[in-house]
Amino acid sequence: MNKREMRRKLASLSFAEKINILEKLRDRSVTIAASGLRRKKDATSQNLKVDTQTRR
Amino acid sequence: MDAPPAVREKVGWWAPTSSQWAVRAELAVKAIFDLINQMQAAGTIGRYAIGGAVGATFYLEPSATLDVDIFVTLPMGPSQALLSLAPLYAFLLSRGGTMEGEHIVIDGWPVQFLPAADALDQEALAEAIETEVEGVRTWVMPAEHLAAIALRTGRPKDHNRVLQFLEQNSLDEARLQGILQRHGLTTKWERFQDKYLGDAHE
Repeated sequence: MNKREMRRKLASLSFAEKINILEKLRDRSVTIAASGLRRKKDATSQNLKVDTQTRR
Repeated sequence: MDAPPAVREKVGWWAPTSSQWAVRAELAVKAIFDLINQMQAAGTIGRYAIGGAVGATFYLEPSATLDVDIFVTLPMGPSQALLSLAPLYAFLLSRGGTMEGEHIVIDGWPVQFLPAADALDQEALAEAIETEVEGVRTWVMPAEHLAAIALRTGRPKDHNRVLQFLEQNSLDEARLQGILQRHGLTTKWERFQDKYLGDAHE
Protein backbone atom coordinates (compact mmCIF):
# COMPACT_ATOMS: atom_id res chain seq x y z
CA MET A 1 0.00 0.00 0.00
CA ASN A 2 1.49 3.35 -0.96
CA LYS A 3 1.46 6.45 1.23
CA ARG A 4 -1.49 8.05 -0.53
CA GLU A 5 -3.61 4.91 -0.16
CA MET A 6 -2.63 4.62 3.49
CA ARG A 7 -3.69 8.22 4.13
CA ARG A 8 -6.99 7.63 2.35
CA LYS A 9 -7.57 4.51 4.39
CA LEU A 10 -6.84 6.34 7.65
CA ALA A 11 -9.10 9.21 6.63
CA SER A 12 -11.96 6.79 5.99
CA LEU A 13 -11.92 5.40 9.55
CA SER A 14 -14.71 6.33 11.93
CA PHE A 15 -14.22 9.40 14.12
CA ALA A 16 -13.97 7.19 17.23
CA GLU A 17 -11.24 5.07 15.61
CA LYS A 18 -9.37 8.21 14.60
CA ILE A 19 -9.67 9.63 18.12
CA ASN A 20 -8.17 6.39 19.43
CA ILE A 21 -5.18 6.82 17.08
CA LEU A 22 -4.94 10.50 18.05
CA GLU A 23 -4.63 9.55 21.72
CA LYS A 24 -1.91 7.02 20.94
CA LEU A 25 -0.03 9.62 18.88
CA ARG A 26 -0.24 12.01 21.79
CA ASP A 27 0.97 9.39 24.26
CA ARG A 28 3.90 8.72 21.97
CA SER A 29 4.74 12.43 21.77
CA VAL A 30 4.63 12.68 25.55
CA THR A 31 6.88 9.64 25.92
CA ILE A 32 9.39 11.04 23.43
CA ALA A 33 9.37 14.38 25.22
CA ALA A 34 9.93 12.61 28.54
CA SER A 35 12.78 10.45 27.24
CA GLY A 36 15.19 13.36 27.32
CA LEU A 37 16.42 12.60 23.80
CA ARG A 38 15.86 16.17 22.68
CA ARG A 39 17.67 17.52 25.70
CA LYS A 40 20.58 15.11 25.11
CA LYS A 41 20.79 16.28 21.53
CA ASP A 42 20.90 19.90 22.70
CA ALA A 43 23.55 19.04 25.26
CA THR A 44 25.59 17.25 22.61
CA SER A 45 25.49 20.23 20.30
CA GLN A 46 26.51 22.47 23.21
CA ASN A 47 29.44 20.15 23.95
CA LEU A 48 30.47 20.25 20.31
CA LYS A 49 30.46 24.04 20.41
CA VAL A 50 32.57 23.99 23.56
CA ASP A 51 34.98 21.50 21.96
CA THR A 52 35.32 23.62 18.86
CA GLN A 53 35.99 26.74 20.93
CA THR A 54 38.52 24.88 23.10
CA ARG A 55 40.41 23.67 20.05
CA ARG A 56 40.75 27.18 18.77
CA MET B 1 1.09 -0.53 30.51
CA ASP B 2 2.49 0.69 33.80
CA ALA B 3 2.34 4.39 34.32
CA PRO B 4 5.83 5.86 33.99
CA PRO B 5 6.23 8.33 36.88
CA ALA B 6 9.14 9.93 35.09
CA VAL B 7 6.81 11.10 32.34
CA ARG B 8 4.79 13.41 34.55
CA GLU B 9 7.91 14.53 36.36
CA LYS B 10 9.71 15.51 33.18
CA VAL B 11 7.03 16.87 30.90
CA GLY B 12 4.79 18.42 33.51
CA TRP B 13 1.13 19.23 33.30
CA TRP B 14 0.32 17.86 29.88
CA ALA B 15 1.37 14.31 30.71
CA PRO B 16 -1.44 11.89 31.56
CA THR B 17 -1.73 10.96 35.21
CA SER B 18 -0.77 7.40 36.17
CA SER B 19 -4.33 6.13 36.11
CA GLN B 20 -5.06 7.84 32.78
CA TRP B 21 -1.96 6.28 31.30
CA ALA B 22 -3.02 2.80 32.35
CA VAL B 23 -6.68 3.03 31.38
CA ARG B 24 -6.44 3.77 27.70
CA ALA B 25 -9.35 1.49 26.82
CA GLU B 26 -11.58 4.43 27.78
CA LEU B 27 -10.94 7.34 25.46
CA ALA B 28 -9.98 10.51 27.32
CA VAL B 29 -11.36 12.63 24.50
CA LYS B 30 -14.72 10.89 24.84
CA ALA B 31 -14.75 11.88 28.53
CA ILE B 32 -14.03 15.48 27.50
CA PHE B 33 -16.99 15.54 25.10
CA ASP B 34 -19.18 14.00 27.78
CA LEU B 35 -18.21 16.70 30.27
CA ILE B 36 -18.79 19.47 27.72
CA ASN B 37 -22.23 18.03 26.98
CA GLN B 38 -23.02 18.17 30.70
CA MET B 39 -21.88 21.79 30.73
CA GLN B 40 -24.13 22.54 27.76
CA ALA B 41 -27.10 20.80 29.40
CA ALA B 42 -26.52 22.92 32.52
CA GLY B 43 -26.72 26.08 30.38
CA THR B 44 -23.14 27.15 31.10
CA ILE B 45 -22.40 27.22 27.38
CA GLY B 46 -24.60 27.42 24.32
CA ARG B 47 -23.55 25.73 21.10
CA TYR B 48 -20.11 24.21 20.81
CA ALA B 49 -18.04 22.58 18.10
CA ILE B 50 -14.67 20.90 17.91
CA GLY B 51 -12.17 22.84 15.82
CA GLY B 52 -8.42 22.70 15.23
CA ALA B 53 -6.50 19.49 14.63
CA VAL B 54 -9.02 17.27 16.44
CA GLY B 55 -11.86 18.74 14.37
CA ALA B 56 -9.84 18.22 11.19
CA THR B 57 -9.33 14.59 12.19
CA PHE B 58 -13.05 14.06 11.52
CA TYR B 59 -12.26 14.54 7.80
CA LEU B 60 -8.56 13.73 7.47
CA GLU B 61 -6.12 11.11 8.68
CA PRO B 62 -5.23 11.57 12.37
CA SER B 63 -2.20 13.74 13.05
CA ALA B 64 -0.45 14.37 16.35
CA THR B 65 -1.75 17.23 18.44
CA LEU B 66 -1.29 18.19 22.04
CA ASP B 67 -4.56 19.93 22.74
CA VAL B 68 -8.25 20.10 21.89
CA ASP B 69 -9.80 23.33 20.60
CA ILE B 70 -13.46 23.82 21.46
CA PHE B 71 -15.32 26.83 20.04
CA VAL B 72 -18.28 27.87 22.17
CA THR B 73 -21.06 30.38 22.36
CA LEU B 74 -21.60 31.80 25.82
CA PRO B 75 -24.98 32.80 27.18
CA MET B 76 -25.01 36.49 28.07
CA GLY B 77 -27.19 37.92 30.80
CA PRO B 78 -29.04 41.24 30.27
CA SER B 79 -26.74 43.07 32.71
CA GLN B 80 -23.54 41.65 31.20
CA ALA B 81 -21.41 43.87 29.01
CA LEU B 82 -18.64 41.35 28.36
CA LEU B 83 -18.58 37.65 27.67
CA SER B 84 -16.91 35.70 30.43
CA LEU B 85 -15.42 32.22 30.49
CA ALA B 86 -15.49 32.24 34.31
CA PRO B 87 -18.67 30.11 34.68
CA LEU B 88 -17.24 27.59 32.20
CA TYR B 89 -13.99 27.30 34.15
CA ALA B 90 -15.85 27.08 37.46
CA PHE B 91 -17.95 24.20 36.08
CA LEU B 92 -14.92 22.26 34.86
CA LEU B 93 -12.73 22.95 37.89
CA SER B 94 -15.48 21.63 40.14
CA ARG B 95 -15.37 18.38 38.15
CA GLY B 96 -11.67 17.71 38.34
CA GLY B 97 -10.29 19.99 35.64
CA THR B 98 -7.14 21.97 36.35
CA MET B 99 -6.06 25.30 34.92
CA GLU B 100 -2.76 25.50 33.06
CA GLY B 101 -2.22 28.79 31.28
CA GLU B 102 -4.83 29.23 28.58
CA HIS B 103 -5.86 25.57 28.81
CA ILE B 104 -7.96 23.57 31.18
CA VAL B 105 -6.67 20.05 31.60
CA ILE B 106 -9.35 17.36 31.52
CA ASP B 107 -8.37 13.69 31.77
CA GLY B 108 -4.80 14.61 30.90
CA TRP B 109 -5.71 16.55 27.76
CA PRO B 110 -5.27 20.33 27.64
CA VAL B 111 -8.50 21.80 26.28
CA GLN B 112 -8.76 25.35 25.01
CA PHE B 113 -12.17 27.00 24.96
CA LEU B 114 -12.51 29.73 22.38
CA PRO B 115 -15.58 31.95 22.45
CA ALA B 116 -17.00 32.44 18.96
CA ALA B 117 -15.24 35.72 18.24
CA ASP B 118 -16.66 36.73 14.88
CA ALA B 119 -19.17 35.91 12.18
CA LEU B 120 -17.01 33.12 10.76
CA ASP B 121 -16.80 31.32 14.12
CA GLN B 122 -20.52 31.80 14.69
CA GLU B 123 -21.37 30.42 11.25
CA ALA B 124 -19.08 27.44 11.86
CA LEU B 125 -20.93 26.71 15.11
CA ALA B 126 -24.35 27.15 13.54
CA GLU B 127 -23.49 24.70 10.75
CA ALA B 128 -21.53 22.22 12.88
CA ILE B 129 -22.02 18.56 12.10
CA GLU B 130 -23.40 16.27 14.75
CA THR B 131 -21.53 13.03 15.28
CA GLU B 132 -20.76 10.67 18.11
CA VAL B 133 -17.74 9.06 19.72
CA GLU B 134 -18.58 5.72 21.32
CA GLY B 135 -22.11 6.78 22.14
CA VAL B 136 -21.29 10.34 23.22
CA ARG B 137 -22.88 13.01 21.02
CA THR B 138 -20.68 15.87 19.86
CA TRP B 139 -20.32 18.47 17.11
CA VAL B 140 -17.55 19.13 14.64
CA MET B 141 -17.06 22.21 12.49
CA PRO B 142 -17.70 21.73 8.75
CA ALA B 143 -14.51 21.05 6.77
CA GLU B 144 -14.80 24.30 4.81
CA HIS B 145 -15.07 26.35 8.00
CA LEU B 146 -12.09 24.54 9.53
CA ALA B 147 -10.12 25.38 6.39
CA ALA B 148 -11.27 29.02 6.43
CA ILE B 149 -10.39 29.42 10.12
CA ALA B 150 -6.98 27.81 9.49
CA LEU B 151 -6.43 30.23 6.63
CA ARG B 152 -7.42 33.15 8.86
CA THR B 153 -5.05 32.00 11.64
CA GLY B 154 -2.28 31.59 9.09
CA ARG B 155 0.52 29.78 10.95
CA PRO B 156 2.55 27.22 8.99
CA LYS B 157 0.73 24.34 10.69
CA ASP B 158 -2.60 25.93 9.74
CA HIS B 159 -1.54 26.24 6.11
CA ASN B 160 -0.42 22.63 6.24
CA ARG B 161 -3.89 21.64 7.37
CA VAL B 162 -5.51 23.52 4.48
CA LEU B 163 -3.17 21.66 2.13
CA GLN B 164 -4.21 18.36 3.68
CA PHE B 165 -7.87 19.23 3.08
CA LEU B 166 -7.11 20.05 -0.54
CA GLU B 167 -4.98 16.95 -1.14
CA GLN B 168 -7.69 14.70 0.17
CA ASN B 169 -10.48 16.47 -1.75
CA SER B 170 -12.33 17.05 1.51
CA LEU B 171 -13.61 20.50 0.60
CA ASP B 172 -16.66 21.59 -1.36
CA GLU B 173 -15.08 24.27 -3.56
CA ALA B 174 -18.27 26.34 -4.01
CA ARG B 175 -19.03 26.27 -0.29
CA LEU B 176 -15.47 27.25 0.59
CA GLN B 177 -15.52 30.16 -1.88
CA GLY B 178 -18.79 31.39 -0.38
CA ILE B 179 -17.31 31.34 3.13
CA LEU B 180 -14.11 33.10 2.01
CA GLN B 181 -16.11 35.85 0.30
CA ARG B 182 -18.57 36.33 3.16
CA HIS B 183 -15.78 36.65 5.71
CA GLY B 184 -13.24 38.73 3.82
CA LEU B 185 -10.68 35.99 3.29
CA THR B 186 -10.34 36.01 -0.50
CA THR B 187 -7.07 37.95 -0.46
CA LYS B 188 -5.57 35.52 2.04
CA TRP B 189 -6.81 32.65 -0.12
CA GLU B 190 -5.17 34.11 -3.23
CA ARG B 191 -1.89 34.54 -1.38
CA PHE B 192 -2.14 30.98 -0.08
CA GLN B 193 -2.73 29.70 -3.61
CA ASP B 194 0.22 31.70 -4.97
CA LYS B 195 2.51 30.44 -2.23
CA TYR B 196 1.55 26.77 -2.06
CA LEU B 197 -0.32 25.81 -5.19
CA GLY B 198 1.63 27.78 -7.78
CA ASP B 199 0.15 27.43 -11.25
CA ALA B 200 -2.07 24.54 -10.19
CA HIS B 201 -4.96 26.85 -9.34
CA GLU B 202 -4.94 28.79 -12.58
